[in-house]
Amino acid sequence: MWGQLVRFLLRRLAVSLPLVVGVVFVTFMLVRIGGGDPVALLAGPTASAQEHAAIRKDLGLDKTLVTQFGIYMTKAARGDLGQSWLSSKQVIDEIGKRALVTLELLLWGVAIGALIGIPLGARAAARRGSFFDQVVRAVSLAGFSIPTYWLGLIAILLFFYALGWSPAPMGRLDATLITPPRITGSYFLDALLIGQWEVARSALSQLLLPVMTVAVVACAPIMKHTRAIAAEIVDSEFIRFARSTGLGERRIRGMVLRNSLVPVLTFVGTEIVGLLGTSSLIELIFSWGGIGQWGLQSILNGDFAAIQGYVLFAALLSVVVFIIIDAANYLLEPRGRERL
Amino acid sequence: MSQFFALRKVCSVGALCLSLAMSALPASAATLVVAATKTPGGFDGDALKPNTQNVVVQVYEGLTKYGYKKDNKTGRMLLDPGTILPHLAAKWTASPDGKTYTFELRKGVKSPFGNELTSADVVWGWEKSQAQKRTGAFIAKAAGVTKVEAVDRYNVSFTLDAASSIFLPALTLYTPSLYDSTEVKKYVTAEDPWALKWIDQNTAGFGAYHLQTLKSGEEAVFIANPNYFAGKPYYDRVVYKEVPNAGTRFTLMRTGQVQWVEELNLKQIAELKKDKRVKVESDEGSGHASVRMNPTLKPFDNPLLRQAISYATDYKAINGAVFEGIGSQARSIVPPIIPGADVKTWQFNTNLVKARQLLKEAGYADGVDITLEYAAIFWFEEQLAIQMKDQLAKAGIRVNLQKITDANMRSRTAPNKRDLPFFTFMDNPIVLDPVYALYLNAHSEGASNRNNYANPEFDKLVDAARIEQDPKKRLDLVNKAQTLHINDATWIMTMYPGSHEAMPPCMTGYVWQPDYHERWRELSCK
Repeated sequence: MWGQLVRFLLRRLAVSLPLVVGVVFVTFMLVRIGGGDPVALLAGPTASAQEHAAIRKDLGLDKTLVTQFGIYMTKAARGDLGQSWLSSKQVIDEIGKRALVTLELLLWGVAIGALIGIPLGARAAARRGSFFDQVVRAVSLAGFSIPTYWLGLIAILLFFYALGWSPAPMGRLDATLITPPRITGSYFLDALLIGQWEVARSALSQLLLPVMTVAVVACAPIMKHTRAIAAEIVDSEFIRFARSTGLGERRIRGMVLRNSLVPVLTFVGTEIVGLLGTSSLIELIFSWGGIGQWGLQSILNGDFAAIQGYVLFAALLSVVVFIIIDAANYLLEPRGRERL
Repeated sequence: MSQFFALRKVCSVGALCLSLAMSALPASAATLVVAATKTPGGFDGDALKPNTQNVVVQVYEGLTKYGYKKDNKTGRMLLDPGTILPHLAAKWTASPDGKTYTFELRKGVKSPFGNELTSADVVWGWEKSQAQKRTGAFIAKAAGVTKVEAVDRYNVSFTLDAASSIFLPALTLYTPSLYDSTEVKKYVTAEDPWALKWIDQNTAGFGAYHLQTLKSGEEAVFIANPNYFAGKPYYDRVVYKEVPNAGTRFTLMRTGQVQWVEELNLKQIAELKKDKRVKVESDEGSGHASVRMNPTLKPFDNPLLRQAISYATDYKAINGAVFEGIGSQARSIVPPIIPGADVKTWQFNTNLVKARQLLKEAGYADGVDITLEYAAIFWFEEQLAIQMKDQLAKAGIRVNLQKITDANMRSRTAPNKRDLPFFTFMDNPIVLDPVYALYLNAHSEGASNRNNYANPEFDKLVDAARIEQDPKKRLDLVNKAQTLHINDATWIMTMYPGSHEAMPPCMTGYVWQPDYHERWRELSCK
């Protein structure tokens, strides 16, 4: 079974890589066509036309777009994603530093969203038409409709400004504390690991509000999706048959859950990837300093290398997440294995 | 022995009292937390990146500085554009023809690295700027500086191509910067003879603060220069925290979580003025919110159309709708704070009948379709663009609004590009001199001549004013240049929104600066 799984995942990876190259190609071209001229930004007010041309040559912008893309991909394959104009740092280092910051936010948020959304959605499916079902549907509709940006601001207004329960939305740690040495990249985990309890407490309290915002955003679609999938399974012939044979409700609920898991898990995976974009706004509001905030700033400032790095990261994250989901599905769904 | 124990007891009680007294102070007494729009992209004053200027002014101080005067109405100290005082220089002498200045440096001015400021540092900084051909080189060119030479360890001479009124105010600026060249030279390499890579991410100045740590996207921490010549500033640590959302910055100021906040819009400022937990200090400022037309591009090459647009603009409505009614109407590209600003020649008071008539004369009797491009570099841009669209429609000018990225706006309005036909922007001259303001914004070689205005007669007047020694004649040239610029109508001069800074009520020492950045060394909250 394991050998077959590895072969399957390698095949998935081989199919995904051209997709990643395609995404990077489209971004590369779009950024260059509409992103402003970096030469005009880099050259000073007294630079001559010759100096402009020299900077253009230095940056490799005098070559055709296709050649530039070829050079970029060759370097990218070696791990060189270029230098950020904005920070003068290597893009690969910036991604490495910020990716975990965002993933910490996303994974906590989606995990909490899933922990709330899946049981509620499943329960609503089992009691369709009931008051509980109506409430779940209304809540998921509201979760879908509320703009993330607004939700974050309201959360700050309520929990920080009005109630004073939450710390100031100023990043991942209180400004007066010293950041713990980097082990995992998560201030909370790093502080826990070295026993800096005050820092861990501060990092956790800073995490709460943005994580809850992500959780609300993630919970609504997970709840809705779980309800729809579970409802379909509840209506299926094999569940009706199970009921008619006199199986207990507990066993039947277990069967419904087991059969819902694969599509729900797939959906949760897509949520992680989808929320990467949404998290940019959440990071912006909470001054989080993750890769989403960095990507957004890069777009606004025409930082070519950083934009491409951000998109490449997002594309690779999608590939990794979907490969993990495929592997999980493979292990959870015996019927799928036969089709391989 | 008992005396020893008694002494020890007294000391212990004293230490305890001292520690109790210290602990009674607010925890953040010596830390200034600034809610900034972003962490600085770099620290090279010659290669300005987002928020570089905000912090390099705290690190690199000038040979001269503006004097301050007391405002009798408010009791606040205000910057006096007409007074230039020595700062890192102790004094200076000028040759009778005004072409050579010799500065004697203040002795004992030290960087955080312990090195003393010498004439070699001044020469190195100016040579670096000239080699980079960027901001500092533009300042040097505008001031007419051709040579900077060390006379001896503490004396340095500047040679100008002509006597210049811009020169002394230009020395108040952060660039060409005065680096601790002894320290910086440690990072020089064959490929990087000016250590630009190191300067971009580190600081080595003689000013009140220097960079301790930078976490890009999170915060930059600055600490006071222990060797600062003017003594220890009140805040010995400044946390420059990235808070990209204006709403969050506003809330943080309201709740006292930060002591300084960058870039609030006027609606937020109006709210904070009503809040007793916050103090707002307002100044006239020098930033001009404008809409500019590129006279080299169609249809704005038609002066009648440009005049029609200027007449069709409802300035009062813009002030009310965009600037909360607290802006002051702009009538010249020389800000009113600068002596020599001439508002008398302004002629474009809102007049729709005249606008339609001019439009007809321009050959657009059936109206005209134009595109107004705007970005989000300044908070007012979108609102101003919407107002322009509404107002110009009344005269038959149909405006299509197009939002572009900040980078696109900056690059397309930069020298050697300048291909935007109609766009919003704000510039503020950092040297408070009328000739510098004219040169910067509208001379064909001006760094902020973003709409590519090129009138040889205007250039001639400004060039003559740059070297004119007689104040009366100089003022006359300045006025003529302003009149010419007004008549050419390439700028829709809307408003000077003013400068409005929010701070805790206890804060004192804030004085508005031409670069719009507070000086941390002057602030205190006792």
